[in-house]
Amino acid sequence: MKQRLRNIWLLAWTLMLEAWRRREIYIIVAVTVALIAGLRMVHFFDLEGLGKFYREICLKTMNLTTGLTVIFLAARQLPREFTNRTIYPLLAKPVSRMEFLLGKYCGVLAASVFCYALFLGVFLAGSLSLHAPVQMGLFLQSIYLQIVAFAVLAALVFMLSMLMTPEGAVTLALILFVASQVLMNLMDTLYDFMSEPGRVALLVLHFVIPQLTLFDLSSKVINSVDVQKGVTRVVWEPLAAGTMGTLTLYGAVYIVLFLGGAYLLFRRKPL
Amino acid sequence: MDPKPVILVQDLVVEYKTVKGFLHAVDGVSFTVQPGECVGFIGPNGAGKSSTIKTLMGFIFAKSGIVEVFGEPAGTVASKRRIGYLPEVTLYYPFLKGRELLELYGGLHGLSRAQLAEQVPKVLAMVGLDGMGDRQIKNYSKGMQQRLGIAQALIAEPECLIFDELSSGLDPVGRYDLRKVLLDLKAHGVTIFFSSHELYEVEALCDRVVAIHQGRVLFDLPLAELQERATGVGLENYFMAEVRRRS
Repeated sequence: MKQRLRNIWLLAWTLMLEAWRRREIYIIVAVTVALIAGLRMVHFFDLEGLGKFYREICLKTMNLTTGLTVIFLAARQLPREFTNRTIYPLLAKPVSRMEFLLGKYCGVLAASVFCYALFLGVFLAGSLSLHAPVQMGLFLQSIYLQIVAFAVLAALVFMLSMLMTPEGAVTLALILFVASQVLMNLMDTLYDFMSEPGRVALLVLHFVIPQLTLFDLSSKVINSVDVQKGVTRVVWEPLAAGTMGTLTLYGAVYIVLFLGGAYLLFRRKPL
Repeated sequence: MDPKPVILVQDLVVEYKTVKGFLHAVDGVSFTVQPGECVGFIGPNGAGKSSTIKTLMGFIFAKSGIVEVFGEPAGTVASKRRIGYLPEVTLYYPFLKGRELLELYGGLHGLSRAQLAEQVPKVLAMVGLDGMGDRQIKNYSKGMQQRLGIAQALIAEPECLIFDELSSGLDPVGRYDLRKVLLDLKAHGVTIFFSSHELYEVEALCDRVVAIHQGRVLFDLPLAELQERATGVGLENYFMAEVRRRS
C-alpha cells in the first residue's frame, strides 16, 4: 500500500514539475499580478465603493481561470503519454494502470490547486489593501468547495480524453463546464414551460452534468460582510456541516463515476 | 535455481482490428527463456516481434495463449517487479533532468532514496552518461536519450532485461558500449531477451535465437546449432533462405 501511494505521489510530482518547468504556471502568476494591479487601481482612484465589484470580478476570474487550467491540463495528460510513448517505460515498472491514472489525476489537481492558491493570495492581498474584509469561515468553505468542483471537472476531462481526441475532450469539457454554470440557473425557469418529455430530458441533464455552480460560494463570500459607517455586520454565516457534507458527497459521487469510467476505458486499452 | 522459465510464451495469438477485419500479428508463437539465458528474437519488419514483447509487458493483450514472466501472468505488477524494459522508440520527459528521470523510474521500482543516491550515478556511468545527469533531457541527443533509456532499464538491477530493438538509435560507439554492458550483466547471471534486426549483434550476445516470420516461429535454436547450420552461407543468408522458404 505504501509503495502504491508512493507511485501515485511520484507520478503526480512529475506532472507538477512539468507544469512548472513548461512555464504554464508563470502565466497564471502574470495574470495574478495583473489582478493585483487592477485592485490597486481601485484604491488609487479612491473608488472604494467599487471594492465589492472588483472582488466579485476577482473571484469569478479565479474560478473560471482555474477551471480552464484544469480542463487544458487534464485533457492532454493521457493522450500525450500515448503519442510520445512515454507511457511504455512507466507502465513497464511495477505500476498498475489504476496507480498511473490516479497519479496523473492527483498531479493535475495539485497543479490546479497551486494556481488557485496563487490567485487566493492575490485576492486576500487585494481585499486587505481595500479594507474590504470577508467572513473567513465562509471564505475557507468556498475554497474547499471550489477544489471539489475542480476535482469533479478533472475527473470528467480524464474520462472524455479516453473517449476522444484531446481537442475533442477540451471542446466538450468547455461546453459542459459552461453548461453546468448556466443550466442550473435556467433549470427552474425552463422546467415550468416545458412539456413532459422536455422535463424528463431536463432531469436527465440535471443528473448527467455535474452542477458545478453548487460549489460556487463566491456571491456569498463577496457579500458576506457589510461595513457601513465603520460598523462591520456579518451578512452570510458559514454553511452548516450537513450542507458541506452533502455537497462533498455529491462531488465524490461524480468523481468516482468519471474516474471509474476513465479507468474502465484505460484498463484494457492496447498501447 | 528457479525451475520455472523466466519467460513462458505458449500458443500466443495477438490480433489487431483493421478496416478489413482482424489481422493476426502473432499466430501461435511458443518459446521459453530460462534463467541466465540470453535469447535474441529476430524477424523481418511486421513479423510480430514487438507485438510479442508488448504482450510480455502487458501493453497489449493476447487473444489466446499463455504469457508468463517469472511464473506471473504478463503485465501484472508482480511480473514487472523483476524486469528492466527498453521500448523500441520512446521520448523521455524533456523537462526532466536525466537524474530526475532515473529517480522517478527507480522510485516506481521501489528503490529508497539511499538506494537511488547509489544507483543513479552508477547506471549513468554504465551507459556513458557520467556527469550528464543534471542536464535537462531536451538537451540530450538522440543517442544520449537511447543511453538514458538503457539506464532506466538497469536502474533497479533487474533479474531479466527485455529490450525491444536493442541498439536502435545508437551510434557504433554506443552499440559497442551497450554490448559490453550486456555481456557483463550476462556474466552476472542476468536473463536477457531482446529483439533485433542486427544479426551480428545476436551472434555476439546470444545463447539461443528465436526467429519469427508472419507471426509464427521460424526456428528456435541454440546459437551453436544455428551457426553450424549456417556454415558456409553465413547467418544472414541462412535466415533469408528460411524466411523465403516460409513466405
